[in-house]
Amino acid sequence: MPYTAEISRANPSCFLFLIDQSGSMADPFGVGESGRRKADGVADAINRLLQNLVIKCAKEEGIRDYYHVGVIGYGAQVGPAFNQPLAGRELVPISEVGSMPARIEERTKKVDDGAGGLMEQRIRFPIWFDPVAEDGTPMCQALSSAKRIVEGWLDQHPTCFPPIVINITDGEATDGDPSGPAEDIRKLSSSDGEVLLFNLHLSSHRGTPIEFPDSEAGLPDRFAQLLFRMSSPLPAYMRNIALQEGYKVSEGSKGFAFNADMVVVIRFLDIGTRPSDLR
Amino acid sequence: MRVFAKPFWAQRHGNEDSEYEDAFWPREPIDGLSMTSFRCAVADGATETSYSRIWAALLVRYWCRSACPATTFDGADLPKWQQSWSRIVRRRPLPWYGEEKVRQGAFAAILGLALDDVPNGSGGTWSAVAIGDSCLVQVRGDEVLARFPPLNSAAFSNRPHLLSSNPNYNSRVVNHAQKTQGTWQGDDAFYLMTDALACWFMREDEQRRTPWKVLRDLETCDEVKPFRELIEDLRKQGALRNDDVTLLRVEVS
Repeated sequence: MPYTAEISRANPSCFLFLIDQSGSMADPFGVGESGRRKADGVADAINRLLQNLVIKCAKEEGIRDYYHVGVIGYGAQVGPAFNQPLAGRELVPISEVGSMPARIEERTKKVDDGAGGLMEQRIRFPIWFDPVAEDGTPMCQALSSAKRIVEGWLDQHPTCFPPIVINITDGEATDGDPSGPAEDIRKLSSSDGEVLLFNLHLSSHRGTPIEFPDSEAGLPDRFAQLLFRMSSPLPAYMRNIALQEGYKVSEGSKGFAFNADMVVVIRFLDIGTRPSDLR
Repeated sequence: MRVFAKPFWAQRHGNEDSEYEDAFWPREPIDGLSMTSFRCAVADGATETSYSRIWAALLVRYWCRSACPATTFDGADLPKWQQSWSRIVRRRPLPWYGEEKVRQGAFAAILGLALDDVPNGSGGTWSAVAIGDSCLVQVRGDEVLARFPPLNSAAFSNRPHLLSSNPNYNSRVVNHAQKTQGTWQGDDAFYLMTDALACWFMREDEQRRTPWKVLRDLETCDEVKPFRELIEDLRKQGALRNDDVTLLRVEVS
C-alpha cells in the first residue's frame, strides 16, 4: 500500500517549499486585511509551515531529523532561499532549520486561561523569511529545480515516504505553462508512492478561502484552476485524517488551497502516535 | 492473595533505550508477595509530544499510589499530577520549540488495574480504568475471560484519545475514560499491554490462536526466549507495529 513507509531518523523524508518572490506579490492580499500584500502572506505561510514542521519533530533532547527541508525562492532569481547561516543549501536537516532561524521575534498569543476565558501569553516566534517582491515569476524554472533536487533525494533514499513539494504562489507564471514541469514532479516516486505536489494559491481576489477542493468548478479564476490541475490528489490516508479533522473532502480532493492555511498538511504527517485532541 | 508480577519492555526499533516512552508500575518484579490489595498500570507516551515519557511515568506512579477506585475515576487528582509534570519540565531554559512543546503538553494512554482480596475467600474482585488504547486481558486456564477496553485489532490507530498534562485538552478526554470490573480466582492471569502488543494479541486471538500462551510462558522454563527477541521476531514478520512495547504479566493465587 502506498504512503505507509515509516518516517524515522534512519529513513527520513523530504519537504521542499517553493516560494513566489515575484513583483506581483506586492499586490494586495485578498482576505480583507488592510495593507497586507501577497508577499506578506507568503512569508507568513512559509514561516508557519517551517515552525510547525520543526515543532512536530521536536523532542525533549532536541529536534529529530525525520525530514530534510529545502526552500527554493523564485522571482529575480531561482535558487535556495534560506538566509545565513543556511544560505545556498538546497536541503537541510530539520534540526538545523529549527536551530537557525534568521531571528526570533516576541509575539503575544491569546490562549485558554483554563477558566473559560482567554489570556495573553508571550511566545517566541521564529522567522526564517521576510517578504520579497521583485521581477517576474519563473515558476517553470522553480519546478524544474525542484524536480532535480527531489530526484537527487530519491536516488539517496529510494524507500522513503514520498517527498512533499509545496508551491506557494499567486499562480501568474511568466516563463511559460507550468503544467508540464508540475507533471514531471508528480511522476517521480519512491518505492512507497509518487511525490506529492501541493499548491497554496495566495490571491488578490477576495474570494472565500477554499481547502482541498475536488473540482475546479467553484474556483475564482484561471490561475486557481491551473494550480488545482497541477496539484496531486490527496492520498487516502490524508483524506481520512482530513475527514476526522472536519474538512469536507472526497476521493477527488487535491492538495490545493486558495487564500487559506496549509499548516494542516503538517498534521497529516505520521511520525508516530498523535493525540486526536491535539490541534 | 499472593501476587506475581513481571514487567517486560522494549523500545521502538531504531531508538535508544533512553527514548522509550512507555511506563509501567511496579518497576520491579514481584515474586509471590502476600497482600490484600494490589495496583498496577502501564502507560504509553505519545511519540509526537515531548516529555511524554515523564508524563507516562508520573501517571502510572500516581495511579498506583492513589486510593481512587477505578470505577469512580473522574480525573479529580489530575491537577496535582499535571503540576508535577510542569515543575519537572520547566527546570531549565528551553529553546523556542521546547517552549511550544511544553505549552502543548505531553499526552499518554493509561491503563490501571486494581486487585482486591475477599477476606476468607479463594478469590477477589478487580477493577480497571483505561484512557487510550492500552489494554488488559484476563485469562483463566485456556480461556480469555475479559478484554478491556474491548478493542478489535482493526480499531487501533495512530490517533487515540489520550490523557494530557495540559488541562485544556482534558475536558473531553476524561469522558473517554472507560471503566470496568470483575472477579478473579486463584491462578488467574492478567496481561497489561501497550497498544502495539495489544493489537498483535487481539489479531492472534481473533484468528483463534492462543497468544496468551506466548505471554504466559515468556522467560520461564517453558520458553526461555527473551522478550526482546520475541518482539524483534514479530517485527520482522510484520506482525507487530514498530513502537515502544510494554507487557505487565500479573498472576494471582
